[in-house]
Amino acid sequence: MSKILTVNGSRYPLDSEKTLLENLESQAINIEFHCRDGHCGACRCQLVSGHVNYTSYPMAYIRENDILTCCSKSTGDIKINTY
Amino acid sequence: MAYTTFSTLSNDAMKEPMFFGNPVNVARYDQQKFEVFEKLIEKQLSFFWRPEEIDVSRDRIDFMNLPDHEQHIFISNLKYQTLLDSIQGRSPNMALLPIVSLPELETWIETWAFSETIHSRSYTHILRNLFTDPSEVFEDIVNNEEIQKRAIDISGYYDTLIHSVQYMQLHGLDNQDAIEYINLDGEKEVLTLRSIKKKLYLCICSTNALEAIRFYVSFACSFAFAERDLLEGNAKIIKLIARDEALHLTSTQQILNIWADGKDDPEMAEIALECFAEGRAIFLQAAEQEKEWAQYLFKDGSMIGLNEQILCQYVEYISNQRMIAIGYEAPFPVSTNPIPWINHWLVSDNVQVAPQEAEISSYLVGQINSKVDSEDLSSFEL
Repeated sequence: MSKILTVNGSRYPLDSEKTLLENLESQAINIEFHCRDGHCGACRCQLVSGHVNYTSYPMAYIRENDILTCCSKSTGDIKINTY
Repeated sequence: MAYTTFSTLSNDAMKEPMFFGNPVNVARYDQQKFEVFEKLIEKQLSFFWRPEEIDVSRDRIDFMNLPDHEQHIFISNLKYQTLLDSIQGRSPNMALLPIVSLPELETWIETWAFSETIHSRSYTHILRNLFTDPSEVFEDIVNNEEIQKRAIDISGYYDTLIHSVQYMQLHGLDNQDAIEYINLDGEKEVLTLRSIKKKLYLCICSTNALEAIRFYVSFACSFAFAERDLLEGNAKIIKLIARDEALHLTSTQQILNIWADGKDDPEMAEIALECFAEGRAIFLQAAEQEKEWAQYLFKDGSMIGLNEQILCQYVEYISNQRMIAIGYEAPFPVSTNPIPWINHWLVSDNVQVAPQEAEISSYLVGQINSKVDSEDLSSFEL
């Protein structure tokens, strides 16, 4: 069974090979991005539940419970909210 | 407390605050109090580029064919960016290096300011190509009223900080009965370490606003030209500049957030709270000025794909984003990006394009790149 990505309450299938940003884009969810490299912070989202692994060092400031979607992947069910 | 270029005090840099601790002595990077600044240095170094690598020779033709009001937009933006990078090429060094206490942050500031000097050099590169004598453009930067208004606002916070730090380092703060501190407004002011820290906080707020929104009006215009296949050499340079500016912005956001979250000097956390409203006012003032700038740019007419209204909406949109990033509420009602195409110009790993695509910069070092027409090869026989 594929994992579930919940964004602002809506559920989508999650591709754990892709970054969260790519997942959001493939579901046509409107999300901000600039650098796609973890240093600008434009793609910051709130993590409600679940866990992410960063593919590269997230340089932008992330508060507790915030994630950068451009450089993170998830292997399990995950819930996030966009800002 | 006088500045020393090499303090012999055996201190532990891991226990120093970012600013106003002991001066940095050993430039060591094997350990960092804040790892992010080390990562920023590495990233900035990996981004290194030189303006001469980008061929801008075709831009002259495009520029000459622009109507007057579009030439005004293009040149005014270059002037404004020249001003911004003139300030940023020296001010972080002058203002922050005398008071910094962490080796990784010290080196980040130097790396940051250095990359701004590359930006300044690239404006000369662009202008030298457009005009036989670019002096008139450069000279107008200090005379142009619209640019001056902004310059005073940006440099003011730096100057105030530099001035008070110089007094402190020359006379110390315990001797103010004998030697009065006269501030830049010509008024007597009693300095305390806390009041200087406050000046530092406001200075970083202003720098953050500069890196966060001031550049983006010009960026949007440059990219809008390139979306019409005009002035593409310039857009390539601006793209590299935008990539660097994103890093600089990250560093000022980091500094502000580290202070506010109480991860550094506890006194700075108090000041962050105390100056919360003032910090917001600085940001809103910058946004207002940028909207006025958009008005000035489009005073004689809009360009295809961009007008004053859209640009002002973008200023509001990007201000919202940037203010949320440092813990403020979004002040403007705009919730969607009015010019979504700009994001594709801001992607950092897109900067290196496939070499078969025309005019790829990395293949153009010291080369002449002019258009080759198939006619030119008509006499070729195999």
